[in-house]
Amino acid sequence: MTNIAYDEAAHLLRRLGFGGPPEEISDLASRGREGAVDYLMDFSQIDNGGMDRLLAAGFDLSNPDDPAKFNLEEIQRWWFTRMAHTRRQFEEKITLFWHNHFATAVSKVNERFMFIQNQTLRNHALDRFDTLLLNVAQDPAMLFWLDGVTNVRGNPNENWARELQELFSMGIVDAVTEEQNYTESDVKEIARAFTGWTVRPPGRTDTNRLNYQFAIDPNQHDEGLKTVYGQTANFSGQDIVTIIAAKPATARFIAKKLFEAFAYPLTSSSADKAAIDKFANVYMTSGHSIKSVARAIFTSDEFFSSRAMFALVKSPIELVVGSVRMLGAIYNPGTLQRPGGSNILADASSFLNQQAYNPPDVAGWRPNLAWVNTSTMLNRFTYADFFASSRTANPNAPGLWLTHDQLKKLTKGSAKKTVSKFLELLGPLSVDAATVRKLRDYLQVNDGGDVVGFSPDDRTIDQKVRGLVHLIMCLTEFQLC
Amino acid sequence: MAITRRQFIKQSAGIASVGIFMPRVWLGDASGQERLSNSRRKLVVIQLAGGNDGLNTVIPYSDSRYYSLRPALSFKQTELKDELNRPTMISNELALHPAMKEIKDLYDAGRVAIVNGVGYPQPNLSHFLSMDVWHTANPSGVGGAGWLGKYADIALIGKQGISAASIGGALPKSLFANRSVIPNIQDFAFYNFVGDPGYPGDYGNQLNVFTAAAARGFDLGTFQSAINSTSFDAVKGAQQLQASVAGYSSSVTYPPENPLAAALKMASRIITTIPDASLLYVTLGGFDTHSDQIDHPGGQANKLTGQHASLVRWFSQAVKAFYDDMTEHGMADDVVIMEWSEFGRRPEENASFGTDHGTANPMFVIGNPVRGGIYGGQPSLNPVDLDAAGNIKFTVDFRSVYATVLDRWLETDSQGILGGRFENAGFLV
Repeated sequence: MTNIAYDEAAHLLRRLGFGGPPEEISDLASRGREGAVDYLMDFSQIDNGGMDRLLAAGFDLSNPDDPAKFNLEEIQRWWFTRMAHTRRQFEEKITLFWHNHFATAVSKVNERFMFIQNQTLRNHALDRFDTLLLNVAQDPAMLFWLDGVTNVRGNPNENWARELQELFSMGIVDAVTEEQNYTESDVKEIARAFTGWTVRPPGRTDTNRLNYQFAIDPNQHDEGLKTVYGQTANFSGQDIVTIIAAKPATARFIAKKLFEAFAYPLTSSSADKAAIDKFANVYMTSGHSIKSVARAIFTSDEFFSSRAMFALVKSPIELVVGSVRMLGAIYNPGTLQRPGGSNILADASSFLNQQAYNPPDVAGWRPNLAWVNTSTMLNRFTYADFFASSRTANPNAPGLWLTHDQLKKLTKGSAKKTVSKFLELLGPLSVDAATVRKLRDYLQVNDGGDVVGFSPDDRTIDQKVRGLVHLIMCLTEFQLC
Repeated sequence: MAITRRQFIKQSAGIASVGIFMPRVWLGDASGQERLSNSRRKLVVIQLAGGNDGLNTVIPYSDSRYYSLRPALSFKQTELKDELNRPTMISNELALHPAMKEIKDLYDAGRVAIVNGVGYPQPNLSHFLSMDVWHTANPSGVGGAGWLGKYADIALIGKQGISAASIGGALPKSLFANRSVIPNIQDFAFYNFVGDPGYPGDYGNQLNVFTAAAARGFDLGTFQSAINSTSFDAVKGAQQLQASVAGYSSSVTYPPENPLAAALKMASRIITTIPDASLLYVTLGGFDTHSDQIDHPGGQANKLTGQHASLVRWFSQAVKAFYDDMTEHGMADDVVIMEWSEFGRRPEENASFGTDHGTANPMFVIGNPVRGGIYGGQPSLNPVDLDAAGNIKFTVDFRSVYATVLDRWLETDSQGILGGRFENAGFLV
């Protein structure tokens, strides 16, 4: 086992998680490439007692019919508490990946179903793709989101059948060969195979009020022959899931999606297509194991290449949760969503246009430059200012706090060392010498612009070091991960 | 400018989705064909995202096949009346959705052109591909700059300050440009660079460092370059925008709880206070009505309520308020509104009180400069005329509508932008 470089470990943690403090990065670096990847991916071995206690003390999500305790804000607060406090960062990151892949939204779907779906995504995130796909398909959120519950024989509804192929499994055209994957007739026939799929609510005496069960209504299911991808049989919906998950086009689509979400955007070059094929091959030979494909990507030379470093634009959730974890800020979720900050991480992410459980449409949040326009950039800078100036006299109050004590611990004796330290913590970011000089100068000027020097006293920390955090978080370099 | 913690929390807790245009001559090669127009002419584009049900927007009420294909969703002739009991027929064949009384009034006044059967060859039934086709004016949907971005690169790039804007959370692909950063505005209140409220005296220092960093050069084509130039323009443009829109006043009341009206009001604040602002883009989503496009309590269909009626009512009321606002500002002769949606919906309804993805659709072009009336051929619902998926065939290429707007209204050669010559659809003099 050879160590990996600190920067490589930081890259790995930004991608498989949200980033973290230097101790967490150094620990990963000491584990070597495969050791670090396995540590993050085999997360069930990591003690998560601290987060579990927070969740147990701060939430009661057992009764979805109690709107005071079960609502969108509460299930957001629950997820962001996990993201900010978990020691199993990859569990949250891969769940977020699948939430975006199987994009389902409270704009149409009841909060309870979004919460149930989050467990489904979590439980099967690294399972066989067949299993994940079937469980998502039979989960109430998707059945309502894409109208499965009203898809009945005679006059089927095509909503699910189309997106199942276009967005959730193989794409319109093959990611490598660019051949068309399916026809309009396949859409219609697949819609027939899924007719009658529905959901049964928990029984009146069932104490598990989230116990919604998948069912097939035999009166509404089309038992006729269907012709799908040139084969004719009385296919069931489950048959279709199995057929789709076994397609090489699905292997390539899923391999590409995982690669682009965690490593870097691919081109249509033959080298990049070969990369897709390489990881798609892992999918095919591992029995469609998501974990095997993901592990192959995360341990690959491509993943650690210079092309991968800072090659992705941070999503708002990555930016918000990352800022908290990297600087050791405090997120105290409190015991119930209240105005004034207990759900602030979710609210801040929404302000940056990523509202958890509410992607804009069935294609999910678009990556990279789709996050970049004048409005979203100004909002990112506003968040940076808000975060940097999160002072408190009472760090135990619900909310997001960057405390004076924490900043004091991180501040060094000189402007030079202080700028270096914060650039390291917030990335580590590599920034050109001229910009670094501007940041140092900033620390040493008064409101009138006169150079007065830097001494790490309380007043300087409260004004200038907070200002430095704001300015670094406004840098182009900080928008990437 | 400072923003308080309370403001931030309040704002971020209730997100409002709602966009401008700035020349970026240093983004790339600035030696292209410049054509600086001094025209006062303005274009407002309204995108109805999700696939508007054209057959229930411009209704072929004299076609028996409309009724046989849509037993639950069709409007009977007797139902084609607005809430004032006025018929909504616009010809012997066509009527407007009863919830569109304001558009009907504008139609009667000769201010509305309806282009029927607008689509493109080999229609794609994917939302995302079909939107790309419309955004880029390229039926292969291969991405690249948008048709309005190309227009901006030619006609608006030399203008001072904000000349185009998108209102909303994301910049639409129509406005993707090669040489211009077209701004997006979600909320005027947050469209600014803010500093620490605890130390307002340090704001100038912060802005100086930010501006120096954002003025750096990164390799063209990289994410860094796009982020950096967008950031620079955002902060620079924000100051102009704030100063300008503060001067807006109007006696027009925009309808509340209507997201399109809110977006058009923002567009009005820009267009009426910034003389160079000439291209505005707004979006209304929610048109993907696979199920429950009408209400059906207890199985009783009520077509005047439900998703689709609400959406077209929003469209109608919002456009009317904006039109009135332009009239009040003496600009009604300078503004053309063009509506589009990525496709229509399947003529045959499904069993979910909804409709699946379709193809060709009517388009609305609205404003005083428009020659009101009905254009294009109404596509046949005859079974032999439908395609294999049961969808109608287009009669007018959407690029003809774009070409008409570009050539006749924006006075810009459409061929360079659309990559070919398309027939004038006739709705502009």
